[in-house]
Amino acid sequence: MKRLTRILGIALTAALVSVGVASAASLGLTSGKLGAGSTTVSGCTSSSLTATRNVDNSGNVTQLNVLSVPQACAGEVIAATLENSSHTSLGSAVVIVGTCTGGCTVSLTGFGAVSAANVTAYALSLTE
Amino acid sequence: MRRRTFLRLTVAIVVAMSSSVGVAYAASLGLSSKQLHAWSQTLTKGTCNQTSATADDTYVQQASPTNTAGGTDTNLTIGGAAGSQDFAFISFDLSGCALPTTAGADTASLTVTVTTKSNDTISVFPVYSGWSSSTLNWNGLGGLTIGATATTTFVPSSPGAVTVPVTADVDAAIKAGTLWGWELRDTSGTAVSTIGSSENNAAGKRPSMTLSYEK
Repeated sequence: MKRLTRILGIALTAALVSVGVASAASLGLTSGKLGAGSTTVSGCTSSSLTATRNVDNSGNVTQLNVLSVPQACAGEVIAATLENSSHTSLGSAVVIVGTCTGGCTVSLTGFGAVSAANVTAYALSLTE
Repeated sequence: MRRRTFLRLTVAIVVAMSSSVGVAYAASLGLSSKQLHAWSQTLTKGTCNQTSATADDTYVQQASPTNTAGGTDTNLTIGGAAGSQDFAFISFDLSGCALPTTAGADTASLTVTVTTKSNDTISVFPVYSGWSSSTLNWNGLGGLTIGATATTTFVPSSPGAVTVPVTADVDAAIKAGTLWGWELRDTSGTAVSTIGSSENNAAGKRPSMTLSYEK
């Protein structure tokens, strides 16, 4: 009985240690995949992308156009947020990059009634 | 008997622990397959208001289809009578604003001054091709590309300044690289009205445009 208890104790300890290692590895991996700021990006594009926006006659943003998105980004997700001078979100939208020849212009719509005069920055992200 | 129960319990715990390890591994794989790249684009705001100094304007006469005198007249005539319609044209040269084609208009407003009133509706149509006040006449209208939908309208019911929004047109023109301006046409009646031209003796009666932009 004592011997069996000792064996089982070792087995349990080994299992707990394995869980700890797996958890640490998981944390390490997830924290290593987030980049932020005005950075050079890798993957399907090697540079930060430029955006322009269109307005209606009332001066509200009707769509945001992300220019020269590489063909390699097809199927990836672009998210955009219109920000004011306090970096508060005035509206946001998401789109999946379609297929195209060469560089694509990817348009995002559905920001709501956001006055272009209040927009001082675009926060953009590409998830791949 | 007690020993067997203890053994079963221990085996169950070990199996549960092993499953947790598997789940943790799968979750880790799922997260690591996505990469998020984020960046920010800061906009610069400014104004570039336009006066008669950068304006070009004229009017063309159906009754005198080769006449180009509207380019030097002090007033622009807008008339709606069939067979003798008069259409006015106004544009501004935005090259002095030095805006890239990635810029855009936040707000833009066109101001004209009514010098002869009427109760007809004047519609403002965007022009998408080049013209010059020194050469444009009625016969030249066929060579112009003019928007099918009016950007805005106004009724020149009393003398004085009228300001209308033209933000969408100017925004599109900045992205196209050139502003070709607008055609002003009577779309409701047969009356004749006039607005001050860029040659008007009173500076306050000349066309102007306010423009707030981002780039």
